[in-house]
Amino acid sequence: MTDIEEVDFEVDPEDLDNSPVVRVPSDELSLLVNDLHVSYRVFGAKKVGHGPGRKQGPLAKLLRRGGRAPAIREVKAIRGISFAARHGEAIGIIGVNGSGKSTLLRAIAGLIPPASGTVHVASNPALLGVNAVLMKDLSGERNIMIGALALGLTPKQVQERYQEIVDFAEIGDFVNLPMKSYSSGMGGRLRFAISASAVPDILMIDEALATGDAGFRAKSKARMDEIRQAAGTVFLVSHSLATIQSMCTRVLWVHDGQLVMDGEPKEVCARYKTFVQEKKKRAKTLH
Amino acid sequence: MTVGEAGSAAAPEVPAPLERVFDQASVDRAARENGLDQVGVRPRLVPYLKDLWTRRAFIKVLAISKAYAENQNTYLGQLWALFSPILNATVYVIIFGFILKVGREGIENTIAFIVVGVFMFRFFERSVMAGAHSVNKNMNLVRSVQFPRAVLPIAGVLAELTVLGPALVVMCVISYFSGFLPIAGTVTIDAYWLLLFPAVGLMWIFSTGCAFLVARWVAITPDLDNLLPHIMRVLMYSSGVIFSIDRYLGQFSWGWIVEYQPVAVYLYLVRSALLNEPAYPPDGTMWLLGVGWAAVFALVGFVVFWRGEERYGRD
Repeated sequence: MTDIEEVDFEVDPEDLDNSPVVRVPSDELSLLVNDLHVSYRVFGAKKVGHGPGRKQGPLAKLLRRGGRAPAIREVKAIRGISFAARHGEAIGIIGVNGSGKSTLLRAIAGLIPPASGTVHVASNPALLGVNAVLMKDLSGERNIMIGALALGLTPKQVQERYQEIVDFAEIGDFVNLPMKSYSSGMGGRLRFAISASAVPDILMIDEALATGDAGFRAKSKARMDEIRQAAGTVFLVSHSLATIQSMCTRVLWVHDGQLVMDGEPKEVCARYKTFVQEKKKRAKTLH
Repeated sequence: MTVGEAGSAAAPEVPAPLERVFDQASVDRAARENGLDQVGVRPRLVPYLKDLWTRRAFIKVLAISKAYAENQNTYLGQLWALFSPILNATVYVIIFGFILKVGREGIENTIAFIVVGVFMFRFFERSVMAGAHSVNKNMNLVRSVQFPRAVLPIAGVLAELTVLGPALVVMCVISYFSGFLPIAGTVTIDAYWLLLFPAVGLMWIFSTGCAFLVARWVAITPDLDNLLPHIMRVLMYSSGVIFSIDRYLGQFSWGWIVEYQPVAVYLYLVRSALLNEPAYPPDGTMWLLGVGWAAVFALVGFVVFWRGEERYGRD
């Protein structure tokens, strides 16, 4: 990487404490991630990495052409992350856009196979993301059926919990309309309700709470606490530090596909806040 | 956070990455002590089959929903499931039956012959395409819930079978009434019509096997998706959908390959059950071949698909 980060590397004292090979902390573990690498295959990509591309004039574009951009690129989204989680922990994951938070969750859930490294879990985890549209042409009722069955519930269990899911999601009569007619908040609430209906051992939530209003947030927090008390582990990806601080017992900061901090919510969030503020200040000075 | 950004002097500081890697022995021990299973590893065949069996309700709901969603955004809605194959067959009957007349050689009832061929081949073709798209088009589902991925091709083909149900009735009705036309041979309703069910059943199993195969190939190599329609076109002309293979290709030394390949076998079985064509009598050898092809394709397809299980969802 660049000079700046290398200087950073030398100055930061906390790095010295971490010897490269550590023993796994031995409490009752529910999840163990070791040296995880995830890469995407991207077809027809010209630029690799995160963030916006550099502006180029037509001449520069012409010069850059000529076989330098292969049809398939490998994008390294996660570059070596290791951590262990215990039963009953609520772990927040923070980081700027494109830092690999959602990919990390998906890899932990076994939905994207790792390029190298291992993930061990106690039982099949359930991932809940706002992007995970089930089938937008179908009604909410159909989607509840599909989602809950996909999570491994039996048809009988789905029937029993159907009303509960609808009530929790607060979508009322909209349940009979196609999901594409839903507002993003309604869709997010329904997905949360479906995922939380299965009481998974590991529940992962990807920004879902950002779509709910205050009332729904309180309800989902109660539901998450319930799952945590049932000895489950909860992961929460969010850009809202307030949400993270109020719900989590531990925070991971992911940056550029790597884990840069892991610890108490207060400590990590404070450090992250200064980073974001510096970034904001810099963005202002550029304009 | 591109490299370029970090290079300027005022770049915000990020703590250095935690260079932490657990040593393999302690990972293994911890996994054993806490009863953890590794994620992203292909399950063994028997547990995979069991898991798949417990998901049969999921397969059913997914298939019916897909079949329903297909024609949902039109005014006529589900009626298109009947109109599309009828229009499709009409075009072929007019062009190949009446204008070019290739569908008349060695065939007594051209209309029924072509209608049955087009309806049944359409089912096969759409099943294979459904299989091809089953992983890629359901990426949202694949990336949010963990379930045996074999559910997707199975549900895709089952959705086509659901659509085929009412279309079969239309097919039988058209075939029967075409027999009253003066230019065509009669079609009688007899006990042989019951053979339609096992024939369609075998074709369904065979199509599911094909769907498994292409599902894996297209998931790994998306380019194949562009080739498939052309392969299907070739298959259509070499399966006797609109003309008699025996009459046109039987004279070549390789004619038997075309005659006994699976799609042609299933078309033969359905026609021998429904029509009174002298060239298509009920035939035990063909039934054996039909069972054989279905078993081989279903088994091989399933195993091929299962062997790629841990790779689906990667992109």
